[in-house]
Amino acid sequence: MASLRQEFLRRKPVSEMAEETGADTGKGELERSIGLFQLAAFGIGATIGTGIFIVLTEAVPIGGPAVVLSFVLAGAVAGLTAICYAELASAVPVSGSSYSYAYATLGEGVAMIVAACLLLEYGVSSAAVAVGWSQYLNELLDNLFGFTVPDSLSNAPEQDGFFNLPAVILVVLCSLLLIRGASESAKVNAVMVMIKVGVLVLFVVLGLQGWNSDNLSDFTPFGLSGITSAAGIIFFSYIGLDAVSTAGEEVRNPRRNLPLAILIALTVVTTLYIAVALVAVAAQPVAGFEGQEAGLAAILEDVTGSTWPATVLAAGAVISIFSVTLVTLYGQTRILFAMGRDGMIPPLFHKLNPRTLTPVPTTIIVALVVSTLAGVLPIDFLAEMTSIGTLVAFLVVSVGVIVLRRSAPDLPRGFRVPLYPLTPILSIAGTIWIIQDLRPVTIYVFFAWATVALIWYFLYGRRHSELGRLEGAGKVTP
Amino acid sequence: MVVGVSPDRRGRPALHLGALLARSAEDDLVLCTIVPTPWPPSPAKVDAEYRVELERVAAEALDAAHARIPADIAATTLVRSARSVPAGLLEVAEERDARFLVVGSSSAGVFGRIALGSISSRLMHSSPVLVALPPRGYRCAPHARVTRVTAAYGGSESSEDIVVAAAEVTARLGATLRLASFAVRARPPYTSGVGTEADRSMIDQWVEEVEAAGRAALDRVRDLAAVPPRLETVIGYGESWDEALEDVEWQDGEVLAIGSSAVGPVARVFLGSRASKIVRNSPVPVVVVPRGTVAELAGRAGRAV
Repeated sequence: MASLRQEFLRRKPVSEMAEETGADTGKGELERSIGLFQLAAFGIGATIGTGIFIVLTEAVPIGGPAVVLSFVLAGAVAGLTAICYAELASAVPVSGSSYSYAYATLGEGVAMIVAACLLLEYGVSSAAVAVGWSQYLNELLDNLFGFTVPDSLSNAPEQDGFFNLPAVILVVLCSLLLIRGASESAKVNAVMVMIKVGVLVLFVVLGLQGWNSDNLSDFTPFGLSGITSAAGIIFFSYIGLDAVSTAGEEVRNPRRNLPLAILIALTVVTTLYIAVALVAVAAQPVAGFEGQEAGLAAILEDVTGSTWPATVLAAGAVISIFSVTLVTLYGQTRILFAMGRDGMIPPLFHKLNPRTLTPVPTTIIVALVVSTLAGVLPIDFLAEMTSIGTLVAFLVVSVGVIVLRRSAPDLPRGFRVPLYPLTPILSIAGTIWIIQDLRPVTIYVFFAWATVALIWYFLYGRRHSELGRLEGAGKVTP
Repeated sequence: MVVGVSPDRRGRPALHLGALLARSAEDDLVLCTIVPTPWPPSPAKVDAEYRVELERVAAEALDAAHARIPADIAATTLVRSARSVPAGLLEVAEERDARFLVVGSSSAGVFGRIALGSISSRLMHSSPVLVALPPRGYRCAPHARVTRVTAAYGGSESSEDIVVAAAEVTARLGATLRLASFAVRARPPYTSGVGTEADRSMIDQWVEEVEAAGRAALDRVRDLAAVPPRLETVIGYGESWDEALEDVEWQDGEVLAIGSSAVGPVARVFLGSRASKIVRNSPVPVVVVPRGTVAELAGRAGRAV
């Protein structure tokens, strides 16, 4: 009988994973075909999400105009963690999410914690973007038809509403599409990225008219801690940069191209974010951000004095956030699918509908949970929970890089972090620095959530683990 | 010849029909299951495990399907990922240079009849190759061959081409060709004042014309290079399409060939109103010949003279 410690630390053998994903059959072999700029473009497309449309309203009241620096801080930490993630991903010759990489390198228990973080990164972020969508939808409806969904049906209870109906509808619609087996083609994805970049550039160009240096005179009203607290919320808008890390096995000359692509993507994205943030804080005094809905559209309307730019921006946001919600919900169901197959959660989660080949029960459960979250929780809390989940997942990954260098120094790695051990240490320090300045309630809720995940692991996952079953049957040597 | 195999294992009729056609045409079978394509980059490969499972489910379904194919037919299996099932099947059909694409009937239909589902009806409208559809629950004997091809024939210029095209296919399958026309006339209301006989004579007139045109079409067939061993004609009468199709006799190894409508886009299958009624009421498998292929087959048959 394996001891608790052994169970917690048991790792999925790489050969086992390779067999599951068909890496050895020749089918799973990926060609090294992605070049530097393709990879950087891929990272930019995956990162420029919805965060920037919604975080300013939450971050500026905390950081003041210095929120511009928060973007630099959050971007730097995101870049460091992405580089660490790339090493971990390259040590496992199969593709998967950070949950799968953690399972193969750091053990079952850690994988469970990472999975708990991923539920925040995907599930809760779907809820957060759905709430942001509802704000822009209201703005669009107001500008086009002079009609808005009443506050009681478009706000969380904490903001004097009853529940957020448009957000719930969005989640339900996306889930129905996923149950039918909808997917987004590469073309649609590219169009969505262009819409997002397009409306952000529109915001910067037109918003410049409202430049007022007086708004920037008190640049750091809340000091350094204000900057880091705001960075915690803003981190949300850098999720997706890690997509570059997992492309490792398809990249030509990864040692050079991976960190360079992360750097290029990071620079482009951060520059755009800073431009947007700077224009926004210069156009409007800090007090104006508090509680502002559909922030970017509202600012644009004030600055230009006409409604059409705000309408265009809101329309762009409504279209592109829809696609982001679809993608994050998709990711969430597939992560649960992987966990279900490993026996960490009940087998219901890896049941496929034979006609549509989609995991229907999982999708329904995710839809129920996410729409409830989107319906009753305010956006700042959802954004912070997403950020802390992502930050902790990356913290674990960065620690994992150091642990793995010690425990398995000879493991072949396609990519090694430059300046070891400085990079992972900086990455760890950065994530901890940002996490500790988040609101206490966020940190408490996160600890409670992680505890629930661990209790679940000890009561359920540990006993139902597919890997444990194989080990017990002697099919896999521990 | 490509057979679409559904991962839910409902595809037995399509397998039987595929085997029947392959044996008769001395062709081999490609059993193909379509799985959804991977998504674009956005979520960082979170679906790796899910994709593996998809391929496994598909491979299992194909193995089960392969085991049902009689040993005298060469069959290979193929998992293909595509944005939609019809698109994937057409891609494979084009790649393999397939003559027939066999897909199952929708599970929502009546037993023993064909029901067009989302996949088959999309293929009806976009396939450049012959689409074969079995009725629900279709089975055939292990060593059966196609004995007779019935071409649904309406007497117009374009349907003469379908006769020639069907003759070409029939000759290749080594079967008898039969021309079938269906005279459907609802009983007129007694209140029309002219009695039922007026209508009767109209039908007779139509039948005479159709028979003459059919003879002419068969004469054209007799001039072809490859003439089917036997030629027949038949007319089904009925007050509804259902009755008219029941009125003629059907053999076990029979298939019904219909042409796609003349109003659809060139070279694609597009079912007209009569053709889709025939498909819905046919008790035997239906082969739908796209218009472009009709011309091509007719041309090929003619050239060989």
